[in-house]
Amino acid sequence: MLTLLTDEQQMLKEVAGEIAGSAGLANPSDLTSRNWAATWQSLAQSGLLALRTRDEDGSPVGSGVEVAVVAEAMGAGLVPVPYLGSAILATELLCLAGADDDAARLAEGTARAGVLLNRDLSGLARFPADGMVYGWDVDGAEEALALTDSPEGPRVVRVSLADGFVPAVSADLTRRLLRSDGPIDPARLTTVGRPLTPEDLLRWEALALAAVCADVVGVMRSALAKAIAYAKERVQYGVLIGSFQAIQHMCAEAYVAAEAAASATSYAAWAVDALDPADALLAGWTAKAQCAAVARDVTETVMQVFGGIGQTYEHIAHVHTRRALMDSLVFGDENALLLRIADVRLTGE
Amino acid sequence: MDYRDTPEEAGFRADLRQWLADHIPAGWDKIEDEQEAVALRKGWHRTLYQAGYVGLSWPVEYGGRGLSPVYDAILNEESGNLNAPPLPSVGYIGRAIFTYASEEQKQRFLPPLLSGDTQWCQGFSEPEAGSDLASLRTSARLDGDHYVVNGQKMWTSGGQYADWCLLLARTDPDVPKHKGISAFLVSVKEPGVTVRPIVIASGEAETAEVFWDDVRIPVHQRLGAPGEGWRIAMTTVSYERGPADIGFIAAYRRTLRKVEHLAAERGLLEQPEWRKKLARAYVQGEVLRLNCMEQLSSRVSGRPPGPEGSVAKLLWADAEQSLQHLAMDILGADELTGSAEGWLSSYFTSRPVSVYGGSAQIQKNIIARMLDLPR
Ligand SMILES: Cc1cc2nc3c(=O)[nH]c(=O)nc-3n(C[C@H](O)[C@H](O)[C@H](O)COP(=O)(O)OP(=O)(O)OC[C@H]3O[C@@H](n4cnc5c(N)ncnc54)[C@H](O)[C@@H]3O)c2cc1C
Repeated sequence: MLTLLTDEQQMLKEVAGEIAGSAGLANPSDLTSRNWAATWQSLAQSGLLALRTRDEDGSPVGSGVEVAVVAEAMGAGLVPVPYLGSAILATELLCLAGADDDAARLAEGTARAGVLLNRDLSGLARFPADGMVYGWDVDGAEEALALTDSPEGPRVVRVSLADGFVPAVSADLTRRLLRSDGPIDPARLTTVGRPLTPEDLLRWEALALAAVCADVVGVMRSALAKAIAYAKERVQYGVLIGSFQAIQHMCAEAYVAAEAAASATSYAAWAVDALDPADALLAGWTAKAQCAAVARDVTETVMQVFGGIGQTYEHIAHVHTRRALMDSLVFGDENALLLRIADVRLTGE
Repeated sequence: MDYRDTPEEAGFRADLRQWLADHIPAGWDKIEDEQEAVALRKGWHRTLYQAGYVGLSWPVEYGGRGLSPVYDAILNEESGNLNAPPLPSVGYIGRAIFTYASEEQKQRFLPPLLSGDTQWCQGFSEPEAGSDLASLRTSARLDGDHYVVNGQKMWTSGGQYADWCLLLARTDPDVPKHKGISAFLVSVKEPGVTVRPIVIASGEAETAEVFWDDVRIPVHQRLGAPGEGWRIAMTTVSYERGPADIGFIAAYRRTLRKVEHLAAERGLLEQPEWRKKLARAYVQGEVLRLNCMEQLSSRVSGRPPGPEGSVAKLLWADAEQSLQHLAMDILGADELTGSAEGWLSSYFTSRPVSVYGGSAQIQKNIIARMLDLPR
C-alpha cells in the first residue's frame, strides 16, 4: 500500500516537465508566436506520445500513472499541443480496436488524430447521430475518432475533419475545437479494426477521466504557483501583498483544494490499469467530480490575487481559467458525475 | 505505486478482521453511562494490547512491533469497518516520549502507556494561550531537585480520566516566549492537581480544565532539555493532526452509510438534488482517504509529518462538518425535536474539529508559511 512514484516515474516526470516547461506558455501571445511543431517532435522523440501503444504482450507501454504524470506536466505548461486528444484518447481507441499500425503513426508524431465529442462534450460521439458534434483537441489532426453502433458491438470510426467542420470559438485557447452541425453522412465514416467490448469502453472512459483530471491538476498547481510568486513581489501599502492574511488564506484554501484533487487523481490514474473496470471508473468519476468542483474556484482565486492585471487578456491567468473550465466540462461536469456516483452508491438501499 | 495491500499486509488484515469479529464487545456503542463507557475503552485498550495490536509501528525495544505505519492505517480502517470501539490514541504522546525522553524515562513510561495501564492527557492550552500557545503562563520554578508548578490549563481532554499528563510550563520567564517552555511527564494524581470537566455544546464532557497549585515534579520527570518544550509540543501536534491516526476515515464511511440510510427512509433517493449531495459526501470522504494515504506513504518513505498535515486537517474538518450539515438537512425537524436521537449531539461534536489541534485559520497560516509567503 504505497502511493509514491517509482524512480522511473519520477524520471518521466522530470522529462515531461522539461519539455512542457521550456515549451509552455508564458504569455497568451506565445500561442501564435511559438513553434509548437517542434514541441510535438520532442514529445515524439522522448517516447511520450507512445505511452498508450502496446508492447509485444499487448499491454500498454505506460499505465494510467505514466499518462497522468505527462498530462499533468502538459496542463501545468498550458502546452497547446493535442497531447490528450492524439497521444492518449485517439491512440487508446486505435489500440483497443487493434489498429496498432495507425497508433504507431500517431506515436511517431507523423500523424495526429483527435476525438469527436457529443454536443455537451460529455462523451464520445456515437453514430448514427444527426446532431452537432465537436472535434476536440484536434490541432494539426486530419481526422477524429468516434464510435458507431454495429451488430457486433460498438466500433471505432474515423471521420475526416477536412469537410463539414468549422472552427468553434472555444473557451480554451490552448486546444483546438472544431464543430460540425451535422448530420454527418454515414459514407464518410470508416470503421477501424475490431469491435470494442463493453469492458474496453469502460477502461477507455476511465483513462480519459484520469488524463483530463491530471491535466487540470497541472493547470491548477501551476496557476497557483504563479499567484504565490506574485504575492511575494507585489507591494501595496509598503508591504508585500503576500503578508496580508486574506491573501495567505485564499492561497492556502486554493492549495488544499488543488492538492485534494491531485490525491484523488493519482488514485484514478493508478486504477485505470490496476482495478477492474467498474472500480476504475468509479475512481475516475470521483476524481473528476472533485477536480470539477474546485478547478474554477482555484483559477479564479489566482486571478483575484493578481488584481487588475489578472483580469486582462494579455495576462496568463485567464488562460489557466479557460483550460480549467474546459477540463471541468469534458467527459462530464460535477453534476453529471455525482449522479453517476450516486447510481453506484445508492442502489440496493 | 500500488494502492493495494502487499501479501503481508493482506495477511495481517485478514487475521485482524477475524480477531476483531471474535473480540469486539457486543453492544459497546449502546452504553450510555459515562463511567461505563470509560471502563469499556480502557478494557478495549488492554484487549488490543494483549493481542499485540497496540504500538504496531513502535520500535520493538519499547514494546512495539516495529512495523511500517501502514499497519496502523490498516488497524484504523478495519476497526472502523467492523465498528470496533475507538482505538487508544497512544501515538502522539508516545511519539513525543520516545523522541525526546531519556532511556530511563522510556523504560518507565512507555510500557504502561502502550498496555493501557496508564492513561494520558495533553496539558498544553490555557485560558489565555490557545492559538498563541507559546504565550502560556503556567510556571515551573526549580526548587532543589523538584519543579514547583502553578497555573491553569484548559481543554485538557480526557483529564478527568487520565493518570498522567504531558504538561507544558514556563521554566524561564526571561527569554523569548518560545524558548522558555519545558515539557514534563507528571501524574495528575499529585496533591495540588484539580480537574474539572468541561461540557461542550453537544452536552458531553469532552474535555476538562486542570488547576495546578504548588504541584511538585521531580526534575527527572522533565522531558527533554530545559527550554525544549516548544519543539516537543510541535512534534506532538504534528502527529496529532492526522485524521488517519485517529480512525476518522473509517468512522466517516460508517456515518455516511447511516446518512444514506436516513435519506432512503425519508424517500429522498428519488430526487437528483439529494443524490448529488450524498455523492458529494462520498467524494469528500474518498478525497480525504486518498490524501491521507499519500501522507502515510511519504511517512513510510522516511519523511516525518510536516505542514502537509495541515492539508489533511482542513479536509478532515470540512468533510466531517459537511456531513453533519447534510444529516441535519435530511433530518429537518427530527434532529431539532429529539426524534432522531444522537444527531444533534454529533453535529455539535463536529464543530470543534476546526478548533482543536490548531484552528482552521491556524492551519491556513501554517500552509501559507509552507508556501513561503511573507510574514
Ligand atoms: C473539544 C476540544 C478539545 C481540546 N483538546 C485539547 C487537549 O487535549 N489539549 C490541549 O492542550 N488543548 C486542547 N484543545 C484546545 C485547542 O487546541 C484550542 O482551543 C485551540 O488551539 C484554539 O485556541 P483558543 O480556544 O484559545 O482560541 P483562540 O486562539 O483565542 O482563537 C479564537 C479565534 O481566533 C482565531 N485566531 C487566533 N489566532 C489567529 C491568527 N494568528 N490568525 C487568524 N486567526 C486567528 C482562531 O482561529 C479562532 O477562530 C481542545 C479544544 C477543544 C474545543
